[in-house]
This record gives sequence, structure tokens and C-alpha cells, in this order.
Amino acid sequence: MAAKKILVADDESHILHVVSLKLQNAGYEVLTASDGQEALEIAQAERPDLLITDYHMPQLSGLELCQKLKQDPATAGIPTIMLTARGYQLEPKDTNQSGISRMLSKPFSPRQLLATVNEVLLEPAA
Amino acid sequence: MTLQAQERPLVATGGAYCVPAAVLDNLAARVRSCGLFLMLLDKDGSVVSHDAQAAVFFQRYVLPLVQYGDPTDPGLADRIRKLDAASPVTVWDTFPGVILAVFPCVERRQIGGFLVLAARSVDFNLAEEVLRVCSRLGLDAAWLRHQAEELIPYNDEAIQRQTRLVTGMFKDQMRLAGLASEMNSLSGHLADAYEELSLIYQISGGMRINRPPNDFFKQACLDVLEVMGVQGLGVALSGQVLPGHEPVLYGALSLPPGTVHRLAEQLIPMLHERKGPLLVNDLVADKSLDWLGKHVHQLMAVPLQRQDMVMGCLFALNKSSGDFDSQDSKLLNSIANQSAIYLENAILFDDSHGLMMGLLHSLTSAVDAKDAYTCGHSERVALLGRQLSAEAGMGEAFGERVYMTGLLHDVGKIGVPESVLQKTGRLTPEEFEQMKKHPEIGARILQDIKQISDLIPGVLHHHERYDGRGYPAGLIAENIPLMGRIICLADCFDAMTSNRTYRKAMPLEVALTEIRRCSGTQFDPSLTEAFLRIGAEKFRQLLAANLGRVRYLGELQQNLRCA
Repeated sequence: MAAKKILVADDESHILHVVSLKLQNAGYEVLTASDGQEALEIAQAERPDLLITDYHMPQLSGLELCQKLKQDPATAGIPTIMLTARGYQLEPKDTNQSGISRMLSKPFSPRQLLATVNEVLLEPAA
Repeated sequence: MTLQAQERPLVATGGAYCVPAAVLDNLAARVRSCGLFLMLLDKDGSVVSHDAQAAVFFQRYVLPLVQYGDPTDPGLADRIRKLDAASPVTVWDTFPGVILAVFPCVERRQIGGFLVLAARSVDFNLAEEVLRVCSRLGLDAAWLRHQAEELIPYNDEAIQRQTRLVTGMFKDQMRLAGLASEMNSLSGHLADAYEELSLIYQISGGMRINRPPNDFFKQACLDVLEVMGVQGLGVALSGQVLPGHEPVLYGALSLPPGTVHRLAEQLIPMLHERKGPLLVNDLVADKSLDWLGKHVHQLMAVPLQRQDMVMGCLFALNKSSGDFDSQDSKLLNSIANQSAIYLENAILFDDSHGLMMGLLHSLTSAVDAKDAYTCGHSERVALLGRQLSAEAGMGEAFGERVYMTGLLHDVGKIGVPESVLQKTGRLTPEEFEQMKKHPEIGARILQDIKQISDLIPGVLHHHERYDGRGYPAGLIAENIPLMGRIICLADCFDAMTSNRTYRKAMPLEVALTEIRRCSGTQFDPSLTEAFLRIGAEKFRQLLAANLGRVRYLGELQQNLRCA
């Protein structure tokens, strides 16, 4: 079976590196984007199996990115893990309507992120 | 991959020097487009890898020459060995029809190997030497010429120039590869740091002083086990700190309780002595710990310290890979330091809470000792009140305050003459007036203890009635503090279900009917509703809850009266 493809979007490059390394070591194929717009384009072109995105990003926020992906039937089914600042909570209506499966607050534990990724990818598609 | 050998280390003296396959691939593809053939040689001149996608001229003619030498020029390896780390690009045209450019790959001023670029020489023709090589290699000379004509011809100067560019490119690529691997290692460290940080966040999030220490440490150990690769993680607290505490070991490693106990007893004084973490990576060699046997081979222990006192320790057994190092002890130590602060606070909290509850009970006992017929009443009102507040959906913390108010609600009776308290007949109006003062007296007795100032409204207003006809203030409905309304219900209910000198106790069902009847007049209707939900079985339990204590107080009163 081909490796599952995961798109990671964050404007902080150290987060991209930490997450990529952890996921690659676990056998995933990782694509990275450093802003919301880039992430949107890559998601449309590459159809990843999962999106991990930061909330605060230039051009297009994580939430706007999810909403755009949700509008396009081709990308609407991509499950998403959202990374947020500690103590920051999204409105439940936003998360429900944007296909956000999980939220993790920064600084997150990479081990926990990987566990979450495995969990989400095992869930039947919504 | 286009190269035959990938990332094969070129051994330079003083360490392995590695050219990443990605660098070679990248370089080979670029020089290929300029008609050049890339080979990597070790420092003895043997080919380590080469561009496997290069033109057949290179594969079939040049590569064997470099690999096996040409009888007319046996000295290639010799010549290569003569180069040193400072050698510039060297060009040789010793092989017929071929030009080679060689430059050393240098790391830390040591030669790791050589990069060789080969090109078809401008002088390529079917001269005698070429024909000789062809026949030796079993190649058809006409075919070879045809292959050679496809290629860009180079002279000394041209290949020299190209190679200088490639040298620079190679160095840049190597630097980038180095940076990338450094970046990976930094990301790895960063990931570890994140892991530790979120572990510490998680553990400190669980530090509520009213959480039982055993519960807290269990969670902390399980959290640490997730992050730290060890087979066992345990906690031991000194008996002086937490009487009755048993040391526990969590994780995959299981040891008999006796072993864990003995280990704990040994570690705490050891840590007290050394005032810092203990790391033993070779237990067999350690005379004092070798009794642990064959299942434990490494140990790390850090103290839970309060100033100079070691309250206990955290200990880790058997690291999954490698030895315990300062990084491990630093992490466990910082967790121990935080846990020690929690532990100290939890103990202080428990102490002061115990002291306060003890004092409240003494006050209650003082009242109960004075009034034989209300014996145990305060405790029951406290329990009933707490149950009622839970039933009405109030939090546990509020329930505790209700409990305390229940204990104290009649404390003012200390100020009512015994003749009134213990009178068996009906009270005269004057006596009743004296009796009615007890809520205010109680409030005055308690007013100086600021930690329980929130209980005073409950004490002061527990005889108010919902319809406003109660005392001391005659407050109506929601104007009566909630605490007062709760205690009022519990107080009346317990009075009804207890024996009094002037009447027998009402059966439970009758008392409940009476409570229901007085809802809205004497009692808050919504609280009454919650109260009636408690259920007969629970009531019997609550009313019988402190019989032992009641019996003791009964004896105490007997003794006091005899004295």
C-alpha cells in the first residue's frame, strides 16, 4: 500500500520541520505549505489523505482554508487536525462545519500528534 | 537512483566521510547534460560509484579504463594517491581519447575521496591506442567512434573550466546536505523539547492541592512513561510525609511489592545524602544495589525535596535504549521539583484543612455537650445539608461549605442558658426570646474567623421562613441567603425525626409529609422538591451516619453532669 499523504501547513518553519520529521519517520509522505493559500493550492492538486494546519497563517487562516476545502466536493472529505495557540478555543459551530476532526494546542507533543494522525486516518470517512 | 552505490562511506582517516546519494545524483545529472561523466573514487583510486545513466561511451569504454587501468598507463591509482587535500583540479589525458579531471573531496583537511569527471577528448580518433583498448575490452571500434561522435568534445582548458564550476557546486551541495542533516537533528531535539514541555504542562495541570497525592503521582508516572523510554517508573514517599503510603512502580517492568518497598527504603536516605539525582547504569557493579537482581540493570532516582528534607523520590528503571544520561535526569528532576511543590502544598492544605475541621468539630461538640437532646444533631444537619445541596445541583465545593455551616449552625446555643436549653416543658415567651438569640450569638462567635466568613449568613438565617415570618431578620423568600434556606430544611427535618423530651420522634414518612406541607410557607419550594428527591433509604443512612460519635457524646454529657 502506498504511503498516506499528509499536508502540513504552518507559517513557522520549525513546526513544519518537527511535524514532517515525526510523520516521515512513521512512514507517511509529507507535503508542506507555509501559508494558507499555498496549502489550498497543494491540497487541490495533490488531494492529501489528511491536513494538519495551523490556525494563524498569513494570506488564508487555517479556518478559512478548511472552509474553502469544504466547499469543493473534491477536497471536502479531507480530514483536518487544527493546531492552535494554547488556551485558544474555536467555536464548535466553526469546527463542525469545516471538517475539523481534532484540535491540538501548541506546544503540542509530537508523539500525541502522531497518535492523533493515526487515529484520524483509521476513522471511516465522514 | 542513478548511482550504483548509495551513500557508501568513503573512509577518510579519522572518520567516515559520506557523500549523500542525493548530492551525487544531482551533480551527475547536471554534468551529464554538459557531456561529462561523474565518478566517485575512494582515496586509493577505486571507483565507489558512478553515473549509471551516462552515455554508453562512458559506461563501456571510460569506466573499465578507470576501474581496471590501462596497461600503457598503470599509474592512475599512484598518481591519485599523490594528490593532497590542497590539490587544485588536475587534468589527465593519459587514456586514449579521454580527458579526466580529478579533484579531492575534503573534509576537515583530510581527503575523503575523489570526484572524477571524464569527457571525450577533442583528440579522439581511431588511433592505434584506441584500437588496442577496443580489442582488449571487446568493443567494435567503428561502433565506439559512432558513440564518441555523439558527445561534446573537450580540451584541457574547457574541462578545467567546467570542473572548477562543478567543484564549487559540489561544495555547496555538501554544505546544504550538512545543513539539512543538522536541521533534521535540530528538529529532532525540538520535537523532544516539545514533548517534555507538553509533559510538564500536563503534569502541572494536574496539580490541584485537594487532589490525593497517590492519585496525582499515578497520573504523573503514567504521563512520564509515555515520553521517557523506560521500563518502570515509580514513586516513593517517606512515611513521615504521607503515613501509610506504599511505594508504587508503574510500567512494563513488574517487581514484587517487597522489592519495590526495599528499594524505596534504600533510595530515600541515599538521595538525602547525595542531594541530587542518582544515576546507576551498571547495577551489577554497584555493591549497594546489586541485590535488585537480574531484572533491573539501570536505575535513576531523583529526590522530591523540600528545602533540606527529602520527602520521597521518583525513580526510573531500565532505559529502553542506551544509558541514563544528564538529559534524562534533568527531565525527571524538573518533574520531581514541580511535584515536590505540589506535594508540599497538598500536605499543608491537608494539615490546615484538618486543623480547621477539627476545630469546627470541637465547637460543635461543645454545643452538643451542653444540650443533651441535640446530641449529634449538628453533624446530621451538616450531612443532610450537603446531600440536599448535591441534590439541588450545587457543586462539591459549595456542598463542603454547607456541611461546615451545618456543623456550626447552633454554635450560638453556647450563649443560651442551660435552663432554657434543657427545659422539658413549653418555653415561656421570655425563654423563647432567649432561645431566638442563638443565631445571632453564633454569628458573633464566628465573626472573627475570616476563612469561614461565608458561613455566617447560613448560621444567622437558619431560622428564617420562606414567607417572612421567621427570625432574626424576617427575610422573605430569595432574600434569605441560600445557605440559610438549606440549613433550615435540614435542621427542621432532623428535629422532627429525633426524640425530644416533649415528644417522640416522628416516623420518616410523616416528617416528609410535614416538610412537603410547609413548602412555600416555611421552606423554599424548589429546595423542598430537591430534598424530597433524596429518598427514604438515603435519609435513614444519613440519620444513622454518626451514631458512634453520638454515643460518645452521650457518655461525655453523662460524665459532665456527674462531675
